[in-house]
Amino acid sequence: MEATEILFLIIAAITVISAAIVAFSNKIIYAAFSLLLTLFGFAALYVYLSADFIAVSQVMIYVGGILILILFGVLMTQRIYDVSVKSERNPVLPTLLTAIGSAVVLGLIIFKTPWRQVADSGYAPITERIGQAIMGDFLLPFEIASILLLAALIGSVFIARAEEKK
Amino acid sequence: MDNVSSIKFFIPELFLTVAVIAVIIAGLINKNKNKFLIPGMSVAALLGTVILSFTQYEMGMNSLFFNMTVLDPMSVFFKILVAAATIWIVLFSLQQHMKVEYYILLLITNLGMFLMASANDLLMILVSLEVVGLSSYVLAGYYKNNMKSSEASLKYVLYGAASTGIMAYGMSILYGLTGETNLAAIQQQLLTQQPYNLTVFISIILIFAGFGYKIAMVPFHFWVPDVYEGAPTPITAFFSVAPKAAGLALLIRFMTTVVGHQLAPGAAEWLQNMDISAPLLIAILSVLTMTLGNTIALQQKNVKRMMAYSSIAHAGYLLMAFVVFNKEGYAAIMLYLVFYLLMNFGAFFIIHMVAQKLGSEDIETFYGLGYRAPFAAVSMAIFMFSLTGLPPLAGFIGKFYLFAAIINGHWYWLAVAGVLNSVISLYYYAGVARAMFLVKTETKDAVSFQTFDKILIATLVIPTLVFGIYWTPILELTMRSIKLFAGN
Repeated sequence: MEATEILFLIIAAITVISAAIVAFSNKIIYAAFSLLLTLFGFAALYVYLSADFIAVSQVMIYVGGILILILFGVLMTQRIYDVSVKSERNPVLPTLLTAIGSAVVLGLIIFKTPWRQVADSGYAPITERIGQAIMGDFLLPFEIASILLLAALIGSVFIARAEEKK
Repeated sequence: MDNVSSIKFFIPELFLTVAVIAVIIAGLINKNKNKFLIPGMSVAALLGTVILSFTQYEMGMNSLFFNMTVLDPMSVFFKILVAAATIWIVLFSLQQHMKVEYYILLLITNLGMFLMASANDLLMILVSLEVVGLSSYVLAGYYKNNMKSSEASLKYVLYGAASTGIMAYGMSILYGLTGETNLAAIQQQLLTQQPYNLTVFISIILIFAGFGYKIAMVPFHFWVPDVYEGAPTPITAFFSVAPKAAGLALLIRFMTTVVGHQLAPGAAEWLQNMDISAPLLIAILSVLTMTLGNTIALQQKNVKRMMAYSSIAHAGYLLMAFVVFNKEGYAAIMLYLVFYLLMNFGAFFIIHMVAQKLGSEDIETFYGLGYRAPFAAVSMAIFMFSLTGLPPLAGFIGKFYLFAAIINGHWYWLAVAGVLNSVISLYYYAGVARAMFLVKTETKDAVSFQTFDKILIATLVIPTLVFGIYWTPILELTMRSIKLFAGN
C-alpha cells in the first residue's frame, strides 16, 4: 500500500467518525466542534480529486466562515446546554431499517454503476480552468448567482431590521 | 449560441433585471412618500416584460448562453403566465401598502421563474430554483411581528434547504453517470451508454424531490399548509400558482430530456430513455397527492388552510397528465394552469378581502355572506365550483382536457381515481357555498368592499365564466406554445 493510500484512509476515517459524532452527539457544542473535523476532512478529500481551488474555498468558506458563525450562535445562545436533543427518542427499528435500506441501495449504486471516467489530470492547478469556465460556458449561472446574492442581501436586511417606531 | 449573440434573445429577463435595480433606487429616493410609485413601477415593469415576451413567440427555437437556457414557445408561454400572475398579485397587495422590499423580491422571484421556465442545464436549474426559493422565504415571513408568518418562513426555509440538498445529490449522481450538465447532452449519453437502471431511477427520484417540493407534490408537501396559512394572503395566492407553474415547466423540460426522448424529431410522442417505469411512478405520486390533499381538505375549518390542501390536490391533477408522455398531456397541463390561475387567485383574493373586513378566515366568517356581500359571495361560489370542475365554468374545460389526455393514453384507473377525487372535492368546495348562502346568521348588516377590489375580482371572474363557454383562444395559445426545443 502506498503512502497516499494510507493517508487517504486516515482522512476518510477522520471524516466519517467526526460526521458520526455530529449526528449522534447529544450536546450541540460537541457536534459543532466535530463538524470542524468533518469539513477539514472534506477539504483534504477534494485535494485527492485534484480540486485544489475547491479545497481551499472549502476551508475558507465552511471552516473559516460558516462554522465560526455556528459556534458563535451556539456560544451566544442562552441555556444551550439544557436543550434536549429530540433525536434520542426516535424509534430504533424503523430508523435501523431505513438506514440499512438506504445503505444497500447506495452500495448498489456505488459499486454496480459504470461511472464515467475522467482522465486523471494529475495534481495540476485548476483555478485557471475554473475562471475560464465561469467567464465562458457558465457565464449566465454566474451572473444569476449575483442576483441571487442581491435577493439574499435585501431579504436578510429586511428580516433583521428593527421595525421603525410610529 | 455564444454569450454575446444570446443577449438579443434574452431581452425580457434583462428588462426585468434593470427594473429591479430601478425599483431599488426609486425606493431609496421615494422613502414611502408616494404610496403608488413603487407598485406602479412594478406593474409597468411586469407589463413591459409580458409584451417583450410575447414578441419572442416569433423568434423560433434557440439555445442560449452555451446551452444554459433555451428559448422555445413553451418557455415563452410560462414566462407570460408567471409575469401576468405577478401583476395580479401586485395589484392585490396595493391596499396593504407593502414596503419596497416586497416588490423588489416579487420582481426577483419573477426573474427566477423566467429562468426556471427556460433552464436547460442542471446548474441553471439549481440556481434558478434558489433565486425563487430565497425570495419566497422572505416573502412568506413578511409580517415579522406575526408568529404564524415567521413560522411559515422558517418552515419554508428548512424544507426548502432539505429538498434542494436532496435534489443536488441526485444531480451529482446524474453528472457522475454522464459527465454532462446539459439536459440534452445527458439525454444523448443515457441513450448511447445505457447505464445501470437503478442508479438512473434513484437519481431521478432524488431530483423529483426538488421539483416536487416546488409544485407541492406528496411526499414533499409538509410545508404547504403552514406556509400557506402563515404567509400574507396575496403571497399565498402567488405561491399557489406562479412557482408551481414554473416548477411544472421545469418538470416538462426534465421529462422530455432526461427521462424521455422524442420518438422522432418533431413527433408528438416521447419514449423513456431507460426502462425505469417513470409513468407508473408519476401515476402513483399523482394519486397519492390528490387523495391526500382532498381528504385532509375535508376536515379543515379555516378556509385559507383548506385552500392550501386544495392546491396540493390540484398539483395531483396536474401531475396526472405527465403519465402519457405526449404533447396532448403537456398541452392539457398548460391549459389547466391558465384556468387554475384565474380561479385560485379569485378564491384567495375573496378570502383575503373577507378576512380584512371581518377579521378571520374561518368558515364561520362566511356564514350568510351571500346576503351581506352578494357580489363577493357569488364570485366565490363561481370560483369554488370552477375549482371542483363543474360545467359551464373554466375549471371544467381544464379538467376535461386533462382527463381526455390520460384516457386517450389508456390510463383508465388513473382517470377513475381523478374523477373520484373531484367528487370528494365537491364536498368541501360546496361547503363554502353552503356557508355563504344556506346558513342563516344573526348579523345581517351589509359588508361593503372597495370598488378597486371588486374590479380586480371581476377581471378574474369574467374570464372564468367566458372561458367555460368559449375557450378556443386559450387552447390555440397552448397548442402554439407546445413546441419544445430538442437537442442542439
